[in-house]
Amino acid sequence: MRPVVGPGPWLLRSPDPSLETHRSTYRPLTTTSAENLASSAEAAALRGRGGAAFPFATKLRAVAARRGRKHVVVNLSEGEPASAKDAALVLTAPHLVLDGAELVARALGVSEVHLAVPDEHRWISEHLERAIAERPRTGRRRFRWRFHEVAARFVSGEASAVTELVSGRANLPVTSWVPTAIEGVRGQPTLLSNAETFAQLAALVLDPGSARPTDDEPGTRLLSLNYASGPIRVVEVWHGTPWCAVLDAEQLSRPVLLGGYHGTWVAGGALRNRTVSAADLADLGSGLGAGVVIPLDEGECPVHRTNLILGYLAGQSARRCGPCLRGLPALAAAFDDLAHGGELDPVLELAGLVEGRGACAHPDGTVRLVRSALKTFGTEIEAHAHGTCTGRALITAAVTA
Amino acid sequence: MTAATNGRRSRIRVDWPSCQARGLCHELLPELIDLDPWGYPLVLGEVPPELTAAARAAAANCPKRALRLESR
Amino acid sequence: MTDGPLLWFLNRGTGAAVLVLLTATVALGILTGRPIRSRWIPGFVTRQLHRNIAVIATVLVLLHALSAVVDTYVDIRWWQVISPVGATYRPFWLGLGSLALDIMLVVALSSALRARLTPRVWRAIHLSGYLTWPVALVHSYGTGTDSKDSWARWLALSCAAAIVLAATARLRSERRYDRELRSVGVLS
Repeated sequence: MRPVVGPGPWLLRSPDPSLETHRSTYRPLTTTSAENLASSAEAAALRGRGGAAFPFATKLRAVAARRGRKHVVVNLSEGEPASAKDAALVLTAPHLVLDGAELVARALGVSEVHLAVPDEHRWISEHLERAIAERPRTGRRRFRWRFHEVAARFVSGEASAVTELVSGRANLPVTSWVPTAIEGVRGQPTLLSNAETFAQLAALVLDPGSARPTDDEPGTRLLSLNYASGPIRVVEVWHGTPWCAVLDAEQLSRPVLLGGYHGTWVAGGALRNRTVSAADLADLGSGLGAGVVIPLDEGECPVHRTNLILGYLAGQSARRCGPCLRGLPALAAAFDDLAHGGELDPVLELAGLVEGRGACAHPDGTVRLVRSALKTFGTEIEAHAHGTCTGRALITAAVTA
Repeated sequence: MTAATNGRRSRIRVDWPSCQARGLCHELLPELIDLDPWGYPLVLGEVPPELTAAARAAAANCPKRALRLESR
Repeated sequence: MTDGPLLWFLNRGTGAAVLVLLTATVALGILTGRPIRSRWIPGFVTRQLHRNIAVIATVLVLLHALSAVVDTYVDIRWWQVISPVGATYRPFWLGLGSLALDIMLVVALSSALRARLTPRVWRAIHLSGYLTWPVALVHSYGTGTDSKDSWARWLALSCAAAIVLAATARLRSERRYDRELRSVGVLS
């Protein structure tokens, strides 16, 4: 299902995705130096939007400083099933993403951009191809856009898995001894960032006047709102927007899972007087991650929802690293046991065994979800131990893959 | 990567996709490497200078070359 | 001194020794497999033995070849040691010996330079080492002047038996391991 995209104040303000409309809103693309781009990104405190929130200026400077052939990779794979913001950008503002990538590529002296697109949603590459066809093919340097199909597996969109795919190897995570910026595609310096990050950069550089530079956390976030039924709704909000402008009172009164399946739960009501900001959420021990917001459905039990997600995550292992291959199913089984009134200790023990042991962040993210569920839903788990459930009805929400 | 021999500590890192739970590292360095219930290495801490040689042996003897020693 | 029984004894002695050492190498290589967990012998011992015996076997096989070249009783040129074709003395059987020696040298080199090879390439070369054993055995039967003797027959049979035992133990362990993985729900 394609996401429903709400209009937004900045990235999503174009009424249509055509190049013509895009150019009427934004300045034309020019070649600018990597240091200029990095300075702009630094002034706007631009952080990656793929979940790790790494400062973009640092990453760009690291790649620019190295010699030899470089690569630019736009990660559009969006492996998280509850996230649709990158798809939303492709639908409504593809040229922002492409402009951002082209700005970086030109600054780094690279004439080819790799687009990591999801194999599962062919329409995304089709839309991108259409947008690329609109762009002028001028300039002495022939600019190339190369598509790479990323598998539908959860871990396949991870940075090292994408780098492996672009390098011509299997689309699975590997141990990253050295950051991708230093050794990425084929061992060469690679700037790999999320699609939204590139779009944010483009909007920053090509329309600086419209940004709100005075806040501690300037800029906007794209949020993927997951409701009980229907498509994912993608909205764009300025940092510091109150949560009551994003979710309704009912949703705010129930627990919300922030950051996606590798994210953290916040208790019901915790977001009522808070804003969409990293600082506010850090107070709650949570974070935005890649902007995924999953409010609990009415009458649903958060423990059972966590259980379902864990079952899905355990099955998404790349099956390469022992602790993930063996440990995650065991952890999911132990949590399932707990959800049906069993012991807590096995869950804690397995969480400790799995954490930090694997080539990618899949085990860590899964453990993060488990720990946050244990912390937030102590009462519910206690109730389960006594054979009752605080959810009025057990809604078996489909965990879409 | 090899560890410094001038009395500094080093760190053991596991290349998880290569590790096949053969357990040789645990045989050669039980003070620092334990095994989880599925046979995969649990690194218990940093390598003190006196165990550097043993840690190097553990890394050299891994049949899958999945163990590396990194100097801090 | 390039004639006479000394070189011939040296050649046959080293030949028999290499056969035994190759058998030990291959058997130990089979026993370093993942599912095999011996209570008495730690994994690193098996692995080191496998490696050290292989090195000794490689050195001995060069000595074996050298003694054949130096011996003027049979016309074996030095280049025929490495080339499996072109020999004049029992060309087919000698060629097999050269083949086995070639493989041994390549495997040894690949292991020495392991850091420069990708794991897949190293593994492919290493597994080709399995070939050395049957090739060497057939070579010994064809070129060996003692092939009809009973001690030679017993030697060959014992070596074969050792390999079969090792392979059986390994296959059993592999099956048990697969069963264990399947029972836990992790299909290997």
